[in-house]
Amino acid sequence: MLRFIIKRLLITIPTLLVVITITWGLIRLAPGNFYTGEKAIPEAIERNIREKYGLDRPWHEQYLRTMGQILRLDFGTSLKYEGKSVNEIISRSLPVSATVGILAYLLALIVGITIGSIAALKQNSKWDYASMTLAMIGISVPNFVLGPLLVLLFSLTLYWLPPSRWDGFPSKSVILPVLTLSAIYMAYIARLTRAGMLEVLRSDYIRTARSKGLSEAQVVIRHALRGGLLPVVSYTGPALAFLLTGTVVVERLFVLPGLGNYFIQAALNRDEPLILGIVAFISMTLLTMNLLVDVAYGYLDPRIRQ
Amino acid sequence: MIRQRLIRGNATNLNDESSGTDMNDERSTAGHDSEKVEPAFTPLGTPPQPPIRSRDGDMIHAGAELAVGEGDVRSAEQAEFVTGTSLTRDAWRRLLRNKLAVFGMITVAIITLASILGPFVIKQLTGITPDYIPKDISALKSLPPFTAPDGSFSWLHPMGTDNQGRDLLARVLQGGQISLMVGIIATLMSLIIGVSYGAVAGYLGGRWDSVMMRLVDVLYSLPYIIIVIVLLSMFKSQTARGQLVLLFIALGSVSWLTMARIVRGQVLSLKNQEFVLAARATGVSTPRIIFRHLVPNTIGPVIVYATLTIPTIMLTEAFLSFLGFGVQPPIASWGSLTTDGIQNIAIFPWQLICPGVTMGLTLFSLNFLGDGLRDALDPQMRKRL
Repeated sequence: MLRFIIKRLLITIPTLLVVITITWGLIRLAPGNFYTGEKAIPEAIERNIREKYGLDRPWHEQYLRTMGQILRLDFGTSLKYEGKSVNEIISRSLPVSATVGILAYLLALIVGITIGSIAALKQNSKWDYASMTLAMIGISVPNFVLGPLLVLLFSLTLYWLPPSRWDGFPSKSVILPVLTLSAIYMAYIARLTRAGMLEVLRSDYIRTARSKGLSEAQVVIRHALRGGLLPVVSYTGPALAFLLTGTVVVERLFVLPGLGNYFIQAALNRDEPLILGIVAFISMTLLTMNLLVDVAYGYLDPRIRQ
Repeated sequence: MIRQRLIRGNATNLNDESSGTDMNDERSTAGHDSEKVEPAFTPLGTPPQPPIRSRDGDMIHAGAELAVGEGDVRSAEQAEFVTGTSLTRDAWRRLLRNKLAVFGMITVAIITLASILGPFVIKQLTGITPDYIPKDISALKSLPPFTAPDGSFSWLHPMGTDNQGRDLLARVLQGGQISLMVGIIATLMSLIIGVSYGAVAGYLGGRWDSVMMRLVDVLYSLPYIIIVIVLLSMFKSQTARGQLVLLFIALGSVSWLTMARIVRGQVLSLKNQEFVLAARATGVSTPRIIFRHLVPNTIGPVIVYATLTIPTIMLTEAFLSFLGFGVQPPIASWGSLTTDGIQNIAIFPWQLICPGVTMGLTLFSLNFLGDGLRDALDPQMRKRL
């Protein structure tokens, strides 16, 4: 097990360096600079700016300095949000993104597993076809179409929920973003659960469980779900990556002060420290989560460890 | 039993295709029936031939193997071709039995045709182009579907108009051209890169394979959408056309990883089979073995995965357009039309609903078509997902 973890770590660390290097390279290779605007800057001022931000140094020195800062988890100061350090922006916006993301994933897990199990238990019934068609619609409708449609229905027609505002976690304003974000995962998880359950329900140990007289509920909950949910567990990794892009859309749609919103703003503003900081932070989180998922999966299914 | 397996693997001279497929079906679905269909070369329904005839069958088969051994690679290729046709016909029949897949196929065909021909037809019928802004001041507003400027019923704008009074149907159809084009070109790119990469890695094997696949593993765990956003925002092109090319490159170069994995797996299982051995023995060069002998045999899973890649890429394009990094005006795609519609959701909901629903319907149909193709081309996969 330890060897497995070390092996995974050996892939994770280079990956992190690759992400940061690619991002840094893209920012530097792109034509123009963060200080070039519509108005031309006098040469003396430009020289001062370049000196202040270390742009007059050779590129490898700049690269090593940036990498060193990132490895020490000090991402510097934002160029556009004056006087705010990147760490401050991340620590302020992370709770918003995390709240929406975690709630959406939990909702998706609960609803998805329930629907998927029902579809598998009643295979080829009306329930099965209806829920799988619904799941396909969930996968096919982009969340930036679904979100405004929900707003149109619940905010602008029924006046139940606020259209876009952030009042913190236990408030009505959380409902629409979470629903919008979770729809696609619900659909994926329902399909995965159904496929996994169908395979498990045909296996011998389920027949044994039935034949020794267990109730259907016990067979399903204690025996079938365990094996049937393995695909869902392995989907957690990709889901996290998707969740990320999803939160970007949802935060833009509902104007939430989250990480994704800041990232897009930083990319538009060419705010180098903020871009690099958020990319590094997101990659670290994502890769750590992937590592944890892999370890959990290796624990659940020893065949994977080889 | 051994003979049957040989026949299946190398169906030379099996001119009667229908009998060949039927028997393959029979063998894979009901094992106990295969004993009854013992004389392998007689079409189903004809009375069983005396044993001497089935020895004949053996002779035919031996002849085919000899032909390969003698170095006539063309006959080996023909053999592939014969098996390919019958399997295709078989898969086609299975696909047509799947109602949702047929629905998907028809819808995709209609939407594609409408996107290609629609703007032209609309121009011929009404004289309206997608970027035509009416001269009449009373029409310079967003009209609901099927409404004339004076509020009465009219067939002129079946999807209504946008803020400038441009016909939404024409714009949605033209946006479809762009969205479908992005989906197809980026998929083709990922197809070319992924298939070559996976096939080379799988065929070379050993150290090359592990290095190449380790690279894929590393790229796989990158949060690629973030890198695409950084790329598109940093290199933002001055022209709409340039941005579109950038989009193809960005989307194509990140979506080949799964394709490479699939093709590598297929090649690994194929490369030790007799036809590769025969090709190698007759001195066929390595690139030719990879691209003429191995790659054509991986076509089934590749088609399935490509069909499922198109909607994913279209969705990503729409997502990037929503964030403002995708296609730029004056070019419009379903993603950018939807984004424009979101601005006016409270007053002119049809501006969101029309392009949004068209896009959703297309992705939905493509997904069902892909699922149906997977079930039809590879019935074994059905069990797995």
